Amino acid sequence: MIEAHSKRQKILEYTVLLILTIFILIPFILGFWTSFLPTADISKGALWSSHLSLDNYVAAITQTPIIRYLFNSLVVSILTMLAQLLFCSMSAYAFVFLKFKGRDGLFYLVLATMMLPFEAEVIPNFATVRSLNLLNHYAVMVVPFLTSAFGIFMLRQAFLQIPTEVKEAADVEGLSHWQFYARVVLPYSRISLLTLAAYSFLASWNQYLWPMLTTFSDNFRPVQDGLRQLQSQETFNNWGMIQASAAIVVIPTLLVLFIGQHYFKSGLNEGAVK
Amino acid sequence: MEQQVTNNSKKLKQLPQNLSSLKTVSYDVNARDKLHAIWFLGPSLLVLAVFVFYPMLRTLYLSLFLTNNLGKPTVFVGLQNYWSLLTSSSYLASLQATFVYVIAVSILTLIFGLLLAQAASFKVKGSNFFRTVFSGTMGVSVSVAAIFWLFMFNPSIGLLDQIASVLHLPVINWLTQPGWAMTAIVISTVWMNLGFTFLIFFGALQTVPVNLYEAAQIEGVSKSYQFFHITLPMISPTVFFVSIITLIESFKSFGLIDLMTAGGPNNATNLLVYRIYQDAFLNGNYGLASTESVILAIIIAIFTFLQFKILEKRVTYQ
Amino acid sequence: MMKMRQALLKTIGTAAAILTIGGVWATQVRAQATKRTKVVFWNEMTGPAQQKLNEFVKEFNQSQTKYQVVSQFEGNYNEAVQKILNTHGTDASPAVFQSMDISTSQIYHSGYTTPVQKFVDQDHYDIDKISPVARAFYSEKGKLLSMPFNTSQPVLYYNATLLKKYHITPPPTDPSYSDITRVATQLYQRSHQKVKGLSVEIYGWLFEQFMANSGESMANQADGHNGTPTKVNFDTPGAIKAMKWVQENLKSGALMNFGSGSSASANEMAAFLSGKLGIFLQSSADISQLTAGTKDKLGITYYPHPDGQKANGVAIGGASIWISNDKPATVQRGSWEFIKFLMKPENQAQWQAATGYLALNKDSQQEKVLQELYQKVPAAKVPSEQLSKTKPDETNSGVFLQGLIQERTLTQTAMDQIYNGSNIKNSLQQAEDAMNTYIKSNNQANGVK
Repeated sequence: MIEAHSKRQKILEYTVLLILTIFILIPFILGFWTSFLPTADISKGALWSSHLSLDNYVAAITQTPIIRYLFNSLVVSILTMLAQLLFCSMSAYAFVFLKFKGRDGLFYLVLATMMLPFEAEVIPNFATVRSLNLLNHYAVMVVPFLTSAFGIFMLRQAFLQIPTEVKEAADVEGLSHWQFYARVVLPYSRISLLTLAAYSFLASWNQYLWPMLTTFSDNFRPVQDGLRQLQSQETFNNWGMIQASAAIVVIPTLLVLFIGQHYFKSGLNEGAVK
Repeated sequence: MEQQVTNNSKKLKQLPQNLSSLKTVSYDVNARDKLHAIWFLGPSLLVLAVFVFYPMLRTLYLSLFLTNNLGKPTVFVGLQNYWSLLTSSSYLASLQATFVYVIAVSILTLIFGLLLAQAASFKVKGSNFFRTVFSGTMGVSVSVAAIFWLFMFNPSIGLLDQIASVLHLPVINWLTQPGWAMTAIVISTVWMNLGFTFLIFFGALQTVPVNLYEAAQIEGVSKSYQFFHITLPMISPTVFFVSIITLIESFKSFGLIDLMTAGGPNNATNLLVYRIYQDAFLNGNYGLASTESVILAIIIAIFTFLQFKILEKRVTYQ
Repeated sequence: MMKMRQALLKTIGTAAAILTIGGVWATQVRAQATKRTKVVFWNEMTGPAQQKLNEFVKEFNQSQTKYQVVSQFEGNYNEAVQKILNTHGTDASPAVFQSMDISTSQIYHSGYTTPVQKFVDQDHYDIDKISPVARAFYSEKGKLLSMPFNTSQPVLYYNATLLKKYHITPPPTDPSYSDITRVATQLYQRSHQKVKGLSVEIYGWLFEQFMANSGESMANQADGHNGTPTKVNFDTPGAIKAMKWVQENLKSGALMNFGSGSSASANEMAAFLSGKLGIFLQSSADISQLTAGTKDKLGITYYPHPDGQKANGVAIGGASIWISNDKPATVQRGSWEFIKFLMKPENQAQWQAATGYLALNKDSQQEKVLQELYQKVPAAKVPSEQLSKTKPDETNSGVFLQGLIQERTLTQTAMDQIYNGSNIKNSLQQAEDAMNTYIKSNNQANGVK
């Protein structure tokens, strides 16, 4: 009786898992699958073809700047990530270990910026980067994001976990603020730093609106807008090639995700729960 | 905040030994700190000032003007832009569509996120595989998601309508009928959100003490009762956190709209951010777009404020 | 913990390496291009037109050693206008750019360009070779502002093979709405509803052409030809007749609504090429894609007109090429040399053969490639015939109004509503009111009384 019951339950559980898996996977599978089909077959509505090939991938790599787009995104995301690690941690340090007038006021001011969505500020920001002559350059996608209020907030919470005695001891030893920051605080909070690194990298990688407004050539266009560009150029509905380009873009991130899942999961929960 | 640091000091363990000899600090600590504060904080404050504070004030300023074809404010009109927006049926429709979208996306993301997390906790063979799959959409960026779903929703070659025609169901023009277009955008957004939401929820589920379930099992309580009376209360802070994040992110949605519907059909998916883009960077109507930006900022500020309140609570009382 | 630290270090290490390589690469690329004067050319061409245009750029660069034209695709026509205006005076701005027909007034009033007339005069360029109808569209007081380049006519396409298969008499060359309704309905019914009869994309340009072909002005001041317009009129009898025609075909099921935007036209074309759609209205620029994409015989007619009324003729569509005035004289000279290259008879002929845009140089008609095209696809002649048959008047020479992109957005919204069953007059009236409010504040902001 009990066995039959648990068997039925197992079947039920697998059914649920399977349905959910299908919902999550279908767009992926269909996308990858069609990337191997000739476009002529796809546009007839056929999802089966005897002409499976890598032609679409060859076409995407040789006929479109997709690799260049990927490279641009990588450059912008890495620069943004490194800058945020540095500047956010410095600011967080100031808010935790430096004593100066108006510190808490400043901190709340920084916090308040989290309430202002970048999307609502693109008009003046465009004017600013334009007058700084940064348009159509990597810098335009990095400079406004050199720091982030969220990052400062998150690292401040992490730095607060460092026991005061450590700081007192460092003072006694005569460590300067820079030495204490670099030798003690940063290594102590590396998990939070890693989380911020992942977060800022992904946020930069997924930027869409801002690069769309500020880049005008394939030399600097990042991959999100590059795909948009490819899609709008392909008036002929070249689905095979579009899907291949999408696959080229998504496969590296999926690989990174699966390999780094272990770190990522712990990092995320750290960030979310703390 | 200071208190927290002091409390933590009980965990004194990491004191490097060579630091323990006593020396008196002979100079003015505050003066030294002040100088350092400039260096440590300067870069961040400069960036925030230039790219966050100034633009907000500037946007407010521009929202009170008419701008000419070169984007320069020329005629001061006071609150006229606000008035014309809030009386424009098309803007109100956008506002309404945005709220419908945000609420639908948030609710569905929560439900499916929980469902995925719950299912991934089933003690079955291969559960690791399912966990990997469920977190999969986290690696999908907005343009890739749009391409995948554009193909699914394509009226003549897409999978959904092919299935429909096999089953002799009416073929739906997903992206060209107002209600369906919104549905399509919501589905795509939820799908994209799920990877992240799943990971957070799954992590939270692991923190629920196992003995609670064991006790429930002994009592013979049903699974659904367990879920609503043990699991949900235990992870409610996470649920709240995720819902606020999803809400705020949904208000800022742009990429999927731009790629899939361009705000159409009949402005049914012309959400707030897309509208700002359209009015500013297609129509060159920067004054009006600034007004729309201010309205968006106010809405998001309210929700972010809520998020802070909750986050603060959790950080302090955890 | 150790693992994490390693991971962090590795990430930073890789990052540094990539950045170094990238930096070296970028400097090398830059070093190669410095010998010639760089002329950045912005365009909005897609598909075969983009391919052909890039070929022209390549040929031009090989034909001389002074200039290096760099072609950059900037998305659709609508996006490009603000990009052009917004980047002016920065390093990111183009030296020479393509901008659509309806942006002419706006670009001209920005004062950001050097009128092409200046170079025409300097070089004593034989401008009479270029189609006067097209030139008139881009001139102000007899002065040529920009060079008309890709010029198209809105036409009606039908799948002649499909009509034959279902024994349907093709529409006449100058069809009325009811002629098209007949063919569309027959096709839809005789194919047992497998083939949709007709598609009229939700596209403001087509709406403007319905009005032009009915001989109606959209904006006052004779569509802006006599001064700055202060009002528009959308719910004219001609516009209403056209929308009624659409609704009638929607009701019978013969009309397929593909929506608006770039995916709409792509889906429309895909449906036509795969034999799921019989008739659609679109730019003549699609001809080459249509002939290349299907073995079915392609039929082309003039733009349809209201019943019991003669066609007034449609305006040209497409875009022209402008020279920015924020670049040094040598760069502007290079831009002009490139424009001259594009307008050569042989290049214009190739352009028409490759795309469907009309060859604007009068000498192009004698080129072999065009003669061959007319022999192979006789229907390809229809757009130029329609153009030469049209007597230009105030209503079919384009609308000279700033902010026409807004007009497109609004009329498209109205069309959208109408296609979803809304009341025609109400929808058009609503769009008209919104546009008039816009014009009023826009004129105010730009100091126009």
